[in-house]
Amino acid sequence: MNNILMILREKWMANRWVQSFIMLLSVFGPATITAMADNDASGVATYSIAGALLGYPILFLLTIITVLLGITQEMGMRLTLVTRRGLADLIREKFGVKVSLFIFIGLLVANLGTIIVDLAAVNTTSEMLGIPTIPFLLGVLLLTFVFITWGNYKLTQNIMLVVCLFYFAYIFSAVKAKPDWGLAMSNLVFPNGVTWTSKYIISYLVVGMGVLGATITPWGQFFISSFAFDKKMDKDTLKYSQFETYWGAFLTNFFSFFMIVATAATLYVHGIQLNSGDQAALAIKPFAGALASSLFAYGILAAGFMGIVIVSLSTAYAFSEFFGLSGSLDTDFRKSKTFYTLFIAQLLISALILMIPGASLFNLAIASQVLNAMILPLVFYYLIKLTSSQNLMGIHVNNGFQKYFTSAASVFIVIASAFTVIAVIFRW
Amino acid sequence: MAFISELAGRPVTDFDGTQIGVLKDLVARSYKEFPHPVVDAIIVHGKEGDRAIPYSDLAALLSAAIPLKRPAVNIPAYEFRENDIRLVEDVLDQQILDTDGARVVRVNDIELVRVNGNVVVSNVDIGMLGILRRLGLEKLGHWTAKRFSTDLAAGTISWEFVEPLIHDKSMRLKVPMDKLAELHPSDIAEIISDLNRAEHSDLLHKLNIKQLADTLEEVEPDFQADLLEHFSDEKVADVLEEMSPDEAADLLNELSPERSQSLLKLMETEEADEVRELLRYEEDTAGGLMTTEYVTVLPDMNAAQTIEHLRKVGEDAELVYYVYVTDAEEHLLGVFSLSNLIVAQPETPIADFMHKRIVSVELDTEQDEIAQIVAKYNLIAVPVVDADNKMHGIVTADDALDKVLPTAWKKRLPHFFGAHE
Repeated sequence: MNNILMILREKWMANRWVQSFIMLLSVFGPATITAMADNDASGVATYSIAGALLGYPILFLLTIITVLLGITQEMGMRLTLVTRRGLADLIREKFGVKVSLFIFIGLLVANLGTIIVDLAAVNTTSEMLGIPTIPFLLGVLLLTFVFITWGNYKLTQNIMLVVCLFYFAYIFSAVKAKPDWGLAMSNLVFPNGVTWTSKYIISYLVVGMGVLGATITPWGQFFISSFAFDKKMDKDTLKYSQFETYWGAFLTNFFSFFMIVATAATLYVHGIQLNSGDQAALAIKPFAGALASSLFAYGILAAGFMGIVIVSLSTAYAFSEFFGLSGSLDTDFRKSKTFYTLFIAQLLISALILMIPGASLFNLAIASQVLNAMILPLVFYYLIKLTSSQNLMGIHVNNGFQKYFTSAASVFIVIASAFTVIAVIFRW
Repeated sequence: MAFISELAGRPVTDFDGTQIGVLKDLVARSYKEFPHPVVDAIIVHGKEGDRAIPYSDLAALLSAAIPLKRPAVNIPAYEFRENDIRLVEDVLDQQILDTDGARVVRVNDIELVRVNGNVVVSNVDIGMLGILRRLGLEKLGHWTAKRFSTDLAAGTISWEFVEPLIHDKSMRLKVPMDKLAELHPSDIAEIISDLNRAEHSDLLHKLNIKQLADTLEEVEPDFQADLLEHFSDEKVADVLEEMSPDEAADLLNELSPERSQSLLKLMETEEADEVRELLRYEEDTAGGLMTTEYVTVLPDMNAAQTIEHLRKVGEDAELVYYVYVTDAEEHLLGVFSLSNLIVAQPETPIADFMHKRIVSVELDTEQDEIAQIVAKYNLIAVPVVDADNKMHGIVTADDALDKVLPTAWKKRLPHFFGAHE
């Protein structure tokens, strides 16, 4: 597997266009990769649905989300670099077992939701590729397992680079869809160009929560702090890492922008409804062409696989940090029963839920991202509290803007969550 | 026997039975002659904040309510000493060193026992049962343990093997780290890689020059350089002298040229010259990897003389298992192993049993190739010669294979995927 990847890599490394892109990527490290992993299949599904349902105005939210993602990821990175401990470690040490358990359960449920959607997306692409569902699903699970067991940083990085290549499919699809670029750009600054009916506003709120939850995820917060763990801390690398997190935030939403534009320019404009992200691949076909459509589909397949691996790993690692059952996060843990039990259980539960007939993928995707968004304020609360602690952070403590912007965002998310729940319950 | 998770939050009652607050923390004091700290005071959280009350003023500690022996107003303030451990604040939920298993673990609960009228800290609980107890689900834990016949005691470590860690600048606790000095340098190196900056700084200062040198040899050079920022140049120079020249050269390569030069000046001339010699070569070649601490003898010696010679010089050599035979100009003539030497008759000239077909590498041979040679010929070390067959040093198998087989530090798994490269 490694060999094939190496050959693949060699091949397109030869391409100058790809080369310069990789240069750009390799200058930046873990934060960039983390951010790219944020665009997993459930993310793609949510962005596509958002674009199809709401058109360009949802892009305004993307701007705010990018800033919030940058700030919170930077906090997580800084926290770990300064204290040399993960976010989960610190929550456990400063706030005890009960808080840890509560957050872990939240994380587990949200992650399960994300894995289900990722699996579902991978699954429906199987239909496009003409492979029967269940063998395909089992194949993906097996591949994931092999990857987790024998994977290493280098292999992951190779796969990530391949996945990143697929992200260009979204730019391609967006360009082929001939969108109104002026309208798209102006909507980044303020939402315009639609009639604000109450139905539209409610959809905007619910789907907006989904977009938020797809971009800024609780697992992403734990992921970045884990990834940063092995970096050495001094003032120079801190500055560099901070810049890197902002760049990563920009990059992830740079691609999200094109996903939204691709579906907004085609499906929203023509009033076509979507049930899931992979349908977007089929649905944009008449407008953007067969190649754009296939690329879109393969992009989802790759992003889905990456999502399954990273999200399920983040649960397992957070568990080990919170409860320290196998000592520190060294090789022992990866070989431990707890690790495999957790890992396999997540995949099995997700696969089983997915097989329940009649489950709507559209609802599932949005619901799981809304769930992610609702857990965020809780994670933010502890993140802000820890990074604002003078004792812990010394001179690297939060500045006013970081603290208040994130706090305000958390409060806003809580209120928006409440409205979303009400909106869903009363089916406005 | 009691657990701190059960004690915390219990009411503390005054002499007249009124509640003055709840138990928040236990203060334990260590004694040299006894490995387990003894509870010396409790911290009570009441209306007017926290207050420490000496253990001697308690009528009972391991009971449902904790009554005082005399009215609270008459009890003088407890005087904290430097090494007092606050069990809840300093140990519970924190990571500690398990010096028995040489690993860093998290404390889920702390076990207390009554010994001769005192309450002492017996074990720390690092297992699942500790977590369940904290959540009030201990029964569930016992039930599952029975069902799946797992050993619950496996989750506890005796305090004898516990070394608390300094986490934050705000912590008052001074950790002695005495137990650590007894560990193997590889274990210390592995533990250091698990700790944060404040923690390993503290730990490194507890080690003497010899231990420090041995430990540093076990970690990666870039991390070594990082660790050495904690020390003065004089101390670093001492440590460098103690390290083998090749390791010292690797370390100096990681530092700025100015710092590296000033450190070399501080070192003893003889050691510094050896290191300077090694610094001339590329890091990944035989010249960069080799050590100059090997044993040579002249071809006209016999076995008995050689053994006598080894007794004198063997102390400083990195490896004495191979003895190299050179002429006066250091041209490599032969090699024999200690076993060749020992089985030979005392008066046999070494020229009779030395191997004359020698596997050697040149100064610019790359590491990969050396590793292959070492593996192919099953060598413990391979000599390094120049174009004139003059011997310059040896590359030991562990240095040659270093790149192929990762060291302890490399083996450590970064949180998500395999080793960082």
